[in-house]
Amino acid sequence: MRRRMPSPTPLLLLALLAVVLLWPLAGVIGGALIVNGRLSLAPLAGVFANPVYAEGLLNSLKIAVGTTVLAAAIAVPLAWISGRCEFAGQRLLTGLLLVPMVLPPFVGAIGLQQILGQYGVLNAALGLGPVDWLGRGRYPGVVLLQSLGLYPVLYLNVVAALANVDPAMEEAAENMGCTGLRKFTRITLPLIAPGLFAGGSLVFIWSFTELGAPLIMNYQRCAPVQVYDALKDMGSSPLPYALVFVMLSASLLLYAAVRMLFGRHSNAMQSKATVARAMRRLSGWRGVGARILFAGVIAVALLPHIGVVLTSFSAHGAWYRTVLPADFTLGNFRDALGHEMTVGSIRNSLVFSLFAVACGLACGLAAARVVARSRSVLAPVIDAAAMAPLAVPGIVLAFGFLSISSTLSNQPWVKESPFLLGLVDVRVNPALFLIIAYAVRRLPYLVRSAVAGLQQTPVALEEAGANLGAAPGRVMVRITAPLIAANLVAGGLLAFAFSMLEVSDSLMLAQRADHFPITKTIYELFQLIGTGRYIASALGVWAMAFLAAALLGSSLLMGRKLGAIFRA
Amino acid sequence: MAVSLRIERVTKRFGADVAVDRADFEVAPGEIFFLLGPSGCGKTTLLRCIAGFCEPDEGRILIGDEDVTHVPPHKRDTGMVFQNYALWPHMTLAGNVGFGLEMRGVSKREAAERVRDALRMVRMEDRADARPNELSGGQQQRIALARALVIRPRCLLLDEPLSNLDAKLRLEMRSEIRRICKQAGLTAVYVTHDQKEALSVADRLAVMDGGRICQTGAPMDVYRTPATTFVARFIGETNILEGRFDGGSPCGAKVETPFGEFVSSNPLPAGVGAGDSVWVSFRPEAVRILRRDERPGDGCVNLLSGTVCESVYLGETAQHLVEIEPVAGQGGGTGQVRVFELNPRDVVCGGSVPARISVDPSDVVMLAK
Repeated sequence: MRRRMPSPTPLLLLALLAVVLLWPLAGVIGGALIVNGRLSLAPLAGVFANPVYAEGLLNSLKIAVGTTVLAAAIAVPLAWISGRCEFAGQRLLTGLLLVPMVLPPFVGAIGLQQILGQYGVLNAALGLGPVDWLGRGRYPGVVLLQSLGLYPVLYLNVVAALANVDPAMEEAAENMGCTGLRKFTRITLPLIAPGLFAGGSLVFIWSFTELGAPLIMNYQRCAPVQVYDALKDMGSSPLPYALVFVMLSASLLLYAAVRMLFGRHSNAMQSKATVARAMRRLSGWRGVGARILFAGVIAVALLPHIGVVLTSFSAHGAWYRTVLPADFTLGNFRDALGHEMTVGSIRNSLVFSLFAVACGLACGLAAARVVARSRSVLAPVIDAAAMAPLAVPGIVLAFGFLSISSTLSNQPWVKESPFLLGLVDVRVNPALFLIIAYAVRRLPYLVRSAVAGLQQTPVALEEAGANLGAAPGRVMVRITAPLIAANLVAGGLLAFAFSMLEVSDSLMLAQRADHFPITKTIYELFQLIGTGRYIASALGVWAMAFLAAALLGSSLLMGRKLGAIFRA
Repeated sequence: MAVSLRIERVTKRFGADVAVDRADFEVAPGEIFFLLGPSGCGKTTLLRCIAGFCEPDEGRILIGDEDVTHVPPHKRDTGMVFQNYALWPHMTLAGNVGFGLEMRGVSKREAAERVRDALRMVRMEDRADARPNELSGGQQQRIALARALVIRPRCLLLDEPLSNLDAKLRLEMRSEIRRICKQAGLTAVYVTHDQKEALSVADRLAVMDGGRICQTGAPMDVYRTPATTFVARFIGETNILEGRFDGGSPCGAKVETPFGEFVSSNPLPAGVGAGDSVWVSFRPEAVRILRRDERPGDGCVNLLSGTVCESVYLGETAQHLVEIEPVAGQGGGTGQVRVFELNPRDVVCGGSVPARISVDPSDVVMLAK
């Protein structure tokens, strides 16, 4: 009898991931390095020689460094307290601490300007003149906004790393006479370094390549905004490609470097803990202090979005040099839902996101099964590929899809068919590319949540299905998927929520008003002089309410495991 | 400098659970003292109380003359060997071993020398720059020991240090640990659930059950004269029969059982008077099977008759199961006695063979009910 054929799923998955991930990257790399059919470093040299682009890259680097440092300064102490101590209200506060992660900084930027701007709340409250808290060039504002949105990523990674430290490691230090801060720096910090740097590299890459926040904050001189502004030159100049290429290489290098330095080998020997950790009970003024610290961070982190909510309820022009809007109205919401652009954009976003989640779930479940169940040699490759969108900046992928679209739509065989043109030319209809882009960007969350579910489900349940005659596909549909339904729904809800508020793909790929998703509409409305920011805020509040509902749903389904999805 | 260790009526509760219940014992300077018991008996909690990781709810702990009951762990000057070693993966072996000296402000030169000595003591001097994850389990165990020894602690605490090693290495490390402790003259408290480890390494040991200490004593005393049925069953194997204490006789204390009269030459348990219901315990290896016409020795001996109904041949020993018959006029069914025979010459396979068994009165222990 012949040997059984190996399952084709790993190969199919790999091919699919190559198309949706490697092709756009190849487009970027090709555009940056190949001029007139020949390899050339001239465009790269051009980026660094161009003082505007060089400054933009440097500024982005500064933003990333500033954001990562500030986010770590917020996250590490909070993580240490919540990982080592107990105090009343801890569950609620640590839960709320994660909320800013899912609130789009893109929308928050509008609120932050209302609060910290020259004629904003802070100056009005303090009775100051037009002090510019956001700083000349807006650098402090962008860093503040981004670190307030990204510290939860670091927090989750550090909490997980702290939980993995065998209590005996720290007890051994105490037994040797080492306590307090010294114990933290000599023993705990080195042990959690892998988690800290893994989270830190994610924050760094995200803030280095974030488009939305600097765009709304009007911080023009940073690389992502420059890429956005240069889109119109894409056809004629390799410079935008080269700029994106630099961002891609920097991100991948950082990601790979952190993986290599803090990979499986150095501190991986952490044995299973044999004693349960005794949590330090914070009572009295210490407990109050911890609660104030947590609540304070949450309040500050939510400030930009509180600003958005207030803006959305403010009458036009009624929030100027005052602490609260002078006049409240519901009119903005009515306008936001009445505006022909907004209604269409909500429908567009819904359609794009639903399709993206459906594709992502199918792909993610298949990939998770290969990763968690099969012994295929391709399993680690697929795992890495499915996680890769974490390391590849959204703006790079968006740019790559844009380049594919422009390449394909210039092919004569495409030009002849209106159907094909509608499919691949984003100027005609961006739906296909937006759906693919949304799905690819959120694939890591879907795979992670499905893998988590599979790892908790005994293989024997699936084997019993196979034993009774179900083919692999049927086992997946009838047994595996229902067993891990909670994980799939939770991952799907999150992916859906993030897709609804996705920024870089939406801004770059959607080019005609009738195809705008929500975020692009918010940006366009925001730019309208006068009433724009109020209606944009109202639309933003709608979107945030939506997001909050989705997040609540997935946290109910996933329970405390929700954090696992956001770990590097 | 070896010091004594005193545990005075220490109680530790976790919520409603009493993990350690009025533990009370003293460890002499330089003595190796074992806490032995099944998992969950509170032995590790008691050790962690001594190290300072748990604070007793009641009672006192004294190291030397100092009351350390409420002293934080880092000020106790105990050296602890953790069950999974807890070697810091981000430091070299020398870094791990030297850490305690650094915390004590020992000069770099002296520290380097002492680290070298400690590594030599555990025969790991050539691996000073290696990392913990390059070592085998046995080597990690040695480094954990060196790390605890190098600070010259007032008392060494070992929490199941051999439980992660394979059987052969465990044997080797047993004598190694005893050698090192005696060489350094350390007072040591050693926690284990392995009775062989305790019997072979301890100077004295305490058997714990359900948070309480059941018996304290030298290994041979505890094994030969267990104080409770729990101790008798937990350490080694035993045969236990129910009976009634029937007063003294020239051969020792008499116990009337359904299977005949037993005589024990061991001391009576406290508080037992004539007519009281008691247990009789004797070890399987103390039982002799008398073949056919073989006569028991002269003098006092306990004799029972029955049938050998099952034998397991193990090479150097055989394990027999003997069904013993009730004495005529006594109700109740048959009883079973396990017998270990050294250097066995014949075993019963299938069927059963009538036989008499004998037990020396000095091997019989009477236990209060």
